[in-house]
Amino acid sequence: MQEQIKQRLENIISTMTQLPSIPDVVSRIINMVNDPNVDFKAVAEEIAKDQSLTTNILKLCNSAYFSKGKEIVSVDRAIVTLGLKEIKDIVVLVTCRNVLDKPILGYDLAAGEMWTHNLTVAILAKKMAMDIKRKDLADIVFTGGIIHDVGKTVLALYVANTFKDIMKVTQEKAVTFIDAEKDVMGFNHQDIGLKILEKWKFPDSLKAVVAYHHNPENSPKEFYKAVSIVHVANIITLMAGVGIGGDGLYHALNPDAVKETGISDADLEKYYSIVPEIVKQAKQI
Amino acid sequence: MANELVNVGVAQLKIGTSEQMLRTILGSCVGICIYDRNKKIGGMAHILLPEASGSSQIEKYADTAIPALINLLLKQGCTKEFMSAKIAGGASMFKFKISTALGQIGERNIEVTKDILKKAGIALLCEDTGGSTGRVIDFFLNDGHLKVKAGGVEQNYYKV
Repeated sequence: MQEQIKQRLENIISTMTQLPSIPDVVSRIINMVNDPNVDFKAVAEEIAKDQSLTTNILKLCNSAYFSKGKEIVSVDRAIVTLGLKEIKDIVVLVTCRNVLDKPILGYDLAAGEMWTHNLTVAILAKKMAMDIKRKDLADIVFTGGIIHDVGKTVLALYVANTFKDIMKVTQEKAVTFIDAEKDVMGFNHQDIGLKILEKWKFPDSLKAVVAYHHNPENSPKEFYKAVSIVHVANIITLMAGVGIGGDGLYHALNPDAVKETGISDADLEKYYSIVPEIVKQAKQI
Repeated sequence: MANELVNVGVAQLKIGTSEQMLRTILGSCVGICIYDRNKKIGGMAHILLPEASGSSQIEKYADTAIPALINLLLKQGCTKEFMSAKIAGGASMFKFKISTALGQIGERNIEVTKDILKKAGIALLCEDTGGSTGRVIDFFLNDGHLKVKAGGVEQNYYKV
């Protein structure tokens, strides 16, 4: 059966048609915003073409988490008030929600549990980036936090059938859950996530977060700090039980990644202790 | 009889009556379930960390949440002689460097929880703690039994 699963996953990855989709406008906006010569009018026009996207963006701009106080009634105003990077984060948030808030059965996550987990990781990672004075990474770790587990949406079906085998491998070989996923199925949720982001034409920085959030040591050097921040935020969120699934804490906390973030032991515990407040913020989004 | 589901979030504390079932999801946190078998009233605290060290958020910490939970039950007419406790959670990362303080939280939570229960004079009847699994726990207040689901396996603890 394991051979069959490996083959089926290979097939899914090579044809890509069975991987989840999001509207093309998302990658266009991400790439526009990442261009240092971007014209903000062009971004506003791109968004305005999609009425439901516009409505959802404005709703989020005025939500407790993103609001800067004054009510925002147009995309132009939203870009001026929140900035292009924040608007891009909101575009990803709005468009990925349908893909990520479903039940993730193989991992034992009910509807909405992974979504709350993703938002909690995103908000926590952004806070960490700001606290260590790396505002330039805030949007990457926020968006990365939202989509880091996207591979689970595809892999869950196969994990449902192989869960016992995967757990057995973690015990017998003393390896983490994702290493065991790869051992049993040929792929782990990071591999599948990377393929999904290739399909979505997302930038390399986000691909790195998705592909290496459990293995920051393998990340390309230029994205190492961002990947490390999401790694630490993810572990802290899981430890607090937010979106913890069948894979539990069968993961590794990478000490070099912790060092890379520059966050002290005392501060790690402080971040862990504020997870309940962050979950509250996440649920308001 | 169908039990009404009541979700207890991280760092929350709730009590309920016999027709209810309290549920929470745990990683390194510990869920403390106390039941009065005479009154058929029980409560659950979901603590994140062992010691409050002066923090006012009493629900987050074992040393403040457990006495608060006991007091709530006493106010409902429960008595300590009929109360007993079950605890679950306190998992640790499968792999971490022993020198990282974050790695010790699960074990510290379990240790301090037991200590506080002992000091309060509440018998600890069973525990489902440690390891690296996440746990979904259901605390049934009609008979005080605790169901722990971890890594796809269910375990019931009936002693009250």
